[in-house]
Amino acid sequence: MKSRMILAALLLAGTTLAGCDKVSNAMGGGKSAVKVAETAYPERVYWGDTHLHTANSVDAFGFGNRLPPEEALRFARGEEVTSSTGLKAKLARPLDFLVIADHAEGMGSTMALYNAPRIMINDPTVLRWYDMMHEGPDQSVRAMAEILQARAKGTLPPMFRDPKASAERTHNVWNTYLDTVERYNEPGKFTAFMGFEYTLMQGGNNLHRNVIFRDGKDKVAQIDPLDPTNELTPDKLWDYMDAYRAKTGGKVLAIPHNSNVSNGLMFMMTDGGGKPMTAAWAKRRADNEPVVEVTQIKGDSEAHPFLSPNDEFAGYGTSGWDIGNLMLTEPKSKDMYASEYIREALKRGLLLEQKLGVNPYKFGLIGSTDSHTSLATGDENNFFGKHSGTEPSARRPMIPQNLGTGPGRLGWQYLAGGYAGVWAKANTREAIWDALARREVYATTGPRMTVRFFGGWDFKADDLKGDWVKAGYGRGVPMGGSLAVGKSGAPSFIVSALKDPDGANLDRVQIVKGWVDKAGTLHEKIFDVVWSDMDKRRLAGGKVPAVGDTVDLAKATYTNSIGAPTLATVWTDPEFNAGQRAFYYLRVLEIPTPRWPAFDALRFKAPIGPDVQMKAQERAYSSPIWYTPTV
Amino acid sequence: MTWRERAAPLLREPLVHFLLAGALVYALLSGRAPDIGERRIVVNAGVVEQLIGRFKQTYRRDPGPTELDGLITDYVRDQAYYREALRLGLDQDDDVVMRRMRNKMVALATSEAEAATPTDAQLQALLDAHPDRYSPEVRLSFSQVYLGADTDATRALAAPTLERLRGGADPATAGQTIPIPRDFANAAASEVAGVFGDAFVAGLRQQEPGAWGGPVDSGLGLHLVRVTGRSAAAKPRLADVRQALENDWRAEALRKAEVENYRRVLAGYDVVIEMPK
Repeated sequence: MKSRMILAALLLAGTTLAGCDKVSNAMGGGKSAVKVAETAYPERVYWGDTHLHTANSVDAFGFGNRLPPEEALRFARGEEVTSSTGLKAKLARPLDFLVIADHAEGMGSTMALYNAPRIMINDPTVLRWYDMMHEGPDQSVRAMAEILQARAKGTLPPMFRDPKASAERTHNVWNTYLDTVERYNEPGKFTAFMGFEYTLMQGGNNLHRNVIFRDGKDKVAQIDPLDPTNELTPDKLWDYMDAYRAKTGGKVLAIPHNSNVSNGLMFMMTDGGGKPMTAAWAKRRADNEPVVEVTQIKGDSEAHPFLSPNDEFAGYGTSGWDIGNLMLTEPKSKDMYASEYIREALKRGLLLEQKLGVNPYKFGLIGSTDSHTSLATGDENNFFGKHSGTEPSARRPMIPQNLGTGPGRLGWQYLAGGYAGVWAKANTREAIWDALARREVYATTGPRMTVRFFGGWDFKADDLKGDWVKAGYGRGVPMGGSLAVGKSGAPSFIVSALKDPDGANLDRVQIVKGWVDKAGTLHEKIFDVVWSDMDKRRLAGGKVPAVGDTVDLAKATYTNSIGAPTLATVWTDPEFNAGQRAFYYLRVLEIPTPRWPAFDALRFKAPIGPDVQMKAQERAYSSPIWYTPTV
Repeated sequence: MTWRERAAPLLREPLVHFLLAGALVYALLSGRAPDIGERRIVVNAGVVEQLIGRFKQTYRRDPGPTELDGLITDYVRDQAYYREALRLGLDQDDDVVMRRMRNKMVALATSEAEAATPTDAQLQALLDAHPDRYSPEVRLSFSQVYLGADTDATRALAAPTLERLRGGADPATAGQTIPIPRDFANAAASEVAGVFGDAFVAGLRQQEPGAWGGPVDSGLGLHLVRVTGRSAAAKPRLADVRQALENDWRAEALRKAEVENYRRVLAGYDVVIEMPK
């Protein structure tokens, strides 16, 4: 009976997709390509999503997504498309780049299952799922939830667990996808990357990575995406990346995400298998994974109140996500948080470096959506849902994650999604990928704030006048960099943040410092370095008073009558100890604004429970700048 | 008029292609054309070969005698149930069946369009029909000095700062520090809008080129600006926008194929809608 199912899927993939292959090959790639000049240093930030799923993803299709990669690309470029549930969808502002990262395992398989003749399916469980999918959107979402649960518990019917069986279909779907991406990549205007998601899990514990190639189809088509089904650690992925580099001369990196639902596995003090970490393992991790996706629809992994009790802004987007792993097959215990939140991971990296000589967790930060709707929406007032089953409707703020098949998160606990800000020298695959590789990137929870951060040894307040960006690059290092060692005195930092031109004013800019002392104890401290109305908002008890709140929930609006459009300063670390490893990153806070459930309440009269968070201070996190003492 | 001549228009008729393609697909799948009314279920050599072929695709070997018996038994069971179900009208009012049939019709109608490749003449026609969509973006060169949020105090700053700038003061010494460039050279209008907001681009358009002017409103606050260049509207050339044209042509061809197919199908029916009173 296994045979019939796989066979049906293969048959369908073979017949229906063959047509597309031909077209795409005939079209070729980049027919209007022009040579794009790179600037001497990055002058502007490019906005994108490195984590978008389309109908090719096994779960996205099951949840009702019927939009292929082409629609996703058109949408990201700013065109209007019709969503899977028939709604008109458009971004208020186009994105500059996009990575469609469909799940490698079973790529296109739910679509194939759905399109297969029913008669080919004999496995009773699969047959039930098949019928549920065809019954309608609600049942389809429920079937998909069951499939994901079964995957997390390891109880999937045999056909789903056999990576070889789906290799042929994956190959076809992948190559069609590569053709489409090539047709929409427009250097200088819109960058379309090739990539996939390596959905590594231990049980329901999330160890997912997005794999992003710097190259075009000539190189990327030489390999197929890697199936993680039978893996428990990322080592095989790194082997695969090495093999790709050796075979093609191309470049590739991986971006871990949702450490918040890894149940203590993403940033361990050991290697992936629980053995003592070696310098070689640490180096492989740092080399292959220079960036972490810190914020997205499934919560925010910057800081947890349990780890950072003195940080009143910790805990953004943690509600619901800190109760268990991704699939909720295992509850979370408090000792797991330390290997789940990036601030602690950055600190652990310092300690591991002290021991091993290599920092495995020297990563930059980005945000993305992880949207499964083919629609890379990041704005609160234009949220299209985690998946097509939660596209805008009156019921979604209170809808349970598993549709009531188990305990779980509620709709409102999902965030509207984040974006990646990239300081690149041009809008091309090469320039944006290189910026990711050197970590000159930052995360936002959706708003497009402009954030600059330079570290050096001789920056003074006067440096903010004149050509300070040039000075920043000339005499210091940008976000993601490492301070040159051997200089005297304390490091100083140029900090500049600007509001989203279509968004809210800024409350404050903070520098988060983490360090490790000689005894190996980890420390963190948050410095409010510049905030709005500093003359009126005097420190009280060592803290900057709250900025205030202009949100009108009844209308889902706010006003920029508080906060400031831009904040800038030069800050010198007053507690610098030249013998201690340290990192510094920026956290930029907006004034409070309505969250997406407030817009749903207004537009659809959506019922809202008493616990629902209706507003938030959205934020940006820069990649850190590191300091390493001379030995 | 020979039969060939009479048949020629018919053979050019897409619906005929469509029906032939449908019959062909079915024949390939079942081994022969269907006849629901027939009471004989024939498992001919073609069907058996196909059953074996499918088995081999999965197991990479031939089925054993018992396995082949099982495949054939199952095939017969499928056929018997399927025909009997149709005879009993069980496909009527079944949403799943209806949607499957609709999807198959759409897939068949659009498969030809998916494989089509546009000629240069077709692309040129698309370009001529929508010159605005493909014309190169207006590019702007300008300098800007950021004064701050739009308040009375900031507005009061505008005149004296403007005077200083017009008197030759260094723009680097004027206004507030922000993390975006002071000078933009040949920036696409959409790029400028992304940095400053749409209102700013409209505001720039009002400015006389050459001298410092303003203040101009943006999503960030107030700016003094000096426009130094604006590209003239240019006619798009096919070679420069070929990829975009091909992408759009193909998307449109698919959409058209589906719409036209539905129109043809619908033409064969009278639709009567009776609203509840």
